[in-house]
Amino acid sequence: MSVLVAMAAGLLMGVAFGFLLEKSRVFEPGVIVGQMQLRNFLMLRIFLASVASGLIVLALGTLTGIIPKLDPKAVLYGAQLLGGFVAGIGIALAGACPGTVLAQVGVGYRDARLTLLGGLAGALTFAYLEPAIRPVLLTGSPGKLTLHGLLGVPFWPLALGFAAVLIGALYALERWRPWRAELGDNAAGVLPPAAPARALPAEAEPAAR
Amino acid sequence: MIRLTDRAWSPYLTGALIGLLQVPAFLLLGTALGASSSYVTVSASIAEVFDPAIRSLAYAGKYLDGAKNWWQVALVGGIALGAFLSASLSGTRRSGVSPVWTRALGTSNPTFRFALAFVGGFLLLFGARLADGCTSGHGISGIAQLAVSGFLAVGAMFAGGIATAMMLRAVR
Repeated sequence: MSVLVAMAAGLLMGVAFGFLLEKSRVFEPGVIVGQMQLRNFLMLRIFLASVASGLIVLALGTLTGIIPKLDPKAVLYGAQLLGGFVAGIGIALAGACPGTVLAQVGVGYRDARLTLLGGLAGALTFAYLEPAIRPVLLTGSPGKLTLHGLLGVPFWPLALGFAAVLIGALYALERWRPWRAELGDNAAGVLPPAAPARALPAEAEPAAR
Repeated sequence: MIRLTDRAWSPYLTGALIGLLQVPAFLLLGTALGASSSYVTVSASIAEVFDPAIRSLAYAGKYLDGAKNWWQVALVGGIALGAFLSASLSGTRRSGVSPVWTRALGTSNPTFRFALAFVGGFLLLFGARLADGCTSGHGISGIAQLAVSGFLAVGAMFAGGIATAMMLRAVR
């Protein structure tokens, strides 16, 4: 496929992705930081729903042969644990992930432009340091390990079973707290305090006057 | 009934539709959704103007050209456009910074927030590139392929994110 055709396809898919990220509210810093403080679970709902749907379509796609093969990434224990942890610190401080920061820029959040610049600087810094990091963290991969490969079973039954578990978990999450309760004012994901502010001294209450 | 002008759609519906985007990704490109490697493609392409030798680095060089790399750059650019369209339809375009930051940081000083956003973005992409993927590539796509790397990276991301966010002020 030519680069231009690939980019046209990418743009169309990206517009759909961005539209869905915005409508889901998962791009909101309030939703992402709220999730990391375990006070708002919208991000988990969207994440698990997208994984469940991906599992189902990839199971059906590989079973029918429409999708010839999957493309899992190789395991690198040190790099994935350390890199994932550092990326997680970034998620909490930026209130964004590499994809959602673009949605934040698109809707107009000013700080997201700085997150984007920081991200480009971080990626470039990694590219320059990679030759030094490679011998320490990026060698000795045990390969593109998958759960179905380790268990010696086909992808599709395990994928469909796991999707069923995730759908059950989402059902329980919705029973515990309906998703609309997590939207907050102006759908920014910022929720009112969980408990009445009883700890405040009485004289701090301006409403008393 | 959902409308294009709604401020929010169900997270289950939107999540499921995002998962369906794996179909065109695999059919057209033979790969899954991802976002973080596009940051290498864009930053290394800019750097090449000042430092043509970057092309000779094995890692940076493999992200400079080709349909898959530039597909992802267009995908990530499209995210900004799609979010802009959705927010314009529903009247949720934003200005300034999210109200969550005044709560989480205990200050509404924009300079402090901008500096923290830059640092956060730096760690986000440095970490994601070290891990070889982000919440899209390892999360949505890796776990949907039952990749061990996806479970490892996503577990570590949530560990780092929760540990850091708990040190900020409570957002509710």
